[in-house]
Amino acid sequence: MNNRTKDNFIAWALLSPALVVLTAFGLFPILYAFYVSLHSWRIKRDAFIGFKHYLQAIGDPLNLLAFGVAVLGLFLIARFRRNLSSGSSILVKKWSFFLYIPAIWLLLAYGLLGLIETGDYRLYNGFRVTIFYALGTIPFQLSTALFLAYLLFNSLRGKGAFRILFFLPYVTPAIATAVVFRSIFSSHPLSFANGFLELLGLEGERWLSESHSIVTLALTRLGFSDLPLWLDTAFPSLALVSVIFYNIWVYVGYDIVILLAGLSAIPNHYFEAAKIDGANSWQLFRHVTLPLVSPTLFFLSMVAVIGTFKAFNHIYILKNPGAKDSVDVISVVIFEQIFEFHNAGYASAMAMVLFIAIIFLTFIQNRLLGKRVFYGT
Amino acid sequence: MEREYSRLTRKILLYFGLVVGAASAMFPFLWMTLSSFMTRGETIRRAFIPENIQLANYVEAWHEANFGLYFENSVIVAVIQVIGTLTLSLLAAYPLARMEFRGRDTIFAIILATLMIPETVTMVPNFLTVTWLHRNTPILWLNSWPSLTIPFLTSAFSIFLLRQFLRGIPNDLWEAARIDGAGHLRFLFRIVLPLCRPPLLTVGMFTFIGSWNSLAWPLLVTNSSEWRPISVGLQQFVSEAGAEIHLQMAGAVIATIPVLFVYFLIQKEFTEGISMSGLKG
Repeated sequence: MNNRTKDNFIAWALLSPALVVLTAFGLFPILYAFYVSLHSWRIKRDAFIGFKHYLQAIGDPLNLLAFGVAVLGLFLIARFRRNLSSGSSILVKKWSFFLYIPAIWLLLAYGLLGLIETGDYRLYNGFRVTIFYALGTIPFQLSTALFLAYLLFNSLRGKGAFRILFFLPYVTPAIATAVVFRSIFSSHPLSFANGFLELLGLEGERWLSESHSIVTLALTRLGFSDLPLWLDTAFPSLALVSVIFYNIWVYVGYDIVILLAGLSAIPNHYFEAAKIDGANSWQLFRHVTLPLVSPTLFFLSMVAVIGTFKAFNHIYILKNPGAKDSVDVISVVIFEQIFEFHNAGYASAMAMVLFIAIIFLTFIQNRLLGKRVFYGT
Repeated sequence: MEREYSRLTRKILLYFGLVVGAASAMFPFLWMTLSSFMTRGETIRRAFIPENIQLANYVEAWHEANFGLYFENSVIVAVIQVIGTLTLSLLAAYPLARMEFRGRDTIFAIILATLMIPETVTMVPNFLTVTWLHRNTPILWLNSWPSLTIPFLTSAFSIFLLRQFLRGIPNDLWEAARIDGAGHLRFLFRIVLPLCRPPLLTVGMFTFIGSWNSLAWPLLVTNSSEWRPISVGLQQFVSEAGAEIHLQMAGAVIATIPVLFVYFLIQKEFTEGISMSGLKG
């Protein structure tokens, strides 16, 4: 054996144990899930039923087609408008904006609403809750973390100690801390969250057991009654907001640690140059720190989006019968299909839909946010 | 003088912000610990500080609520996962980082792609796979340790993290080792391994936390208390015995202690390792 073949052999020998595990439990499941989803499958494989599960989950294929065409249309219009840039008149540029209207109308009226009407309520409710969850978590989590990381970055003493304290919620088992939050945000009139409201002179709330949306609750407090039901669909429930509090509490520490590393990587002479030019501390933050830390923020937002789609443990523990399905994110919906209904075929179809949605979302996020990130020179 | 004054105010505001942040981060821990020492009556009227410290809560949680057994199960499962992940991931990361062979970049790209797949997607097919293995191999998978550990003996993330670290090891070391007649294996075990302490600690800690925390998978593959980990134990206890908050909190403290203990031991390396994962490389 010459040296090259020997090295080749060693390389594959070292890789193989890990590859066996990753292939069997990381890659194979994707193919297998697809195979299972095409069958009626409870505990054992039953009849082949083609794409029936997908139709049941997603809805009418015509609506799906409308949705796809609309997305493609939006993409093409955006491209068309970008290519217009130099030569054409301002008027064309302005008016071409209205091309978006039919595309968006097609997307919403025929695509989305049609799909929701013909598809599985649980699946779409799962997506709705997951989107609220992501939108409610990520901006607040990142801005709180950036604020604290910036303070920490500027502090001279106690940096290490504060970093340990901020990081603790992230390392502590979610099972344990979720149990604590369950008790803090319980609907009990004496719970800590209600005690806090009482301090502010407000009435108690049902927190994790409240399926009504925060907007409905706020308007009721202001004296409105007979509120329309869609207010509960269009806004997150108080139960979900309580879950969001928990999520922010856990992940702020992780974001701080990563942001601190990002901040420390900024060369000091940028700050000094800006100070010499007479920048005040807000300008320093807005025009020097923020652009230079934007790649880190982008990374964290990607991690957070994937994290909200994975979120299961704490939600399953914080979930309460009173909240009905208002905190059932997509992973909870899929888990219950297999755990409670033992419907492996249908659960697999839902999992495949989720998988495609995640790929789609990552792609969109990369295109929309990736461009705004400043990577320096 | 005025400048001096405004600097002081800024400093006070800065530390005020940090202290408020740290207090909110710590509050649930304080609540958990205090409640775990209370009597049932105290938790019902939501006292803040227990009058007498009830150590008996822990004895009761450990024996009667079975947390002792669950704790032991979790420790066994976590130890197997950590040892397996460290070994398999380091062995796989080495050729990916420091050897030339055909298909290396493809393999690495595939490993990175699996990072994107959430557990929710793989959970159902993996459950079917494990059920199949349980029926068709002589090993008992369900309700036993293999199903809780074998699928998690390595992870794409840990291979990725270790590979990034290994790439940073100066090539001079390898040249020197080769001149002394060492091959890749000798180099890996004699030179690289001792250098890998920080990333191995990070990967080990991540694996430990992940294992200790996992809930959906153990709920699927265990249905008796024999191999039930503490996460499932706590979840079931909470959903079944709703009102026993003092025991819930004692259980939560029991579930927290080992993780915090390990974290404080390797806190410095772990935070540094995590910071590293966020930088471009």
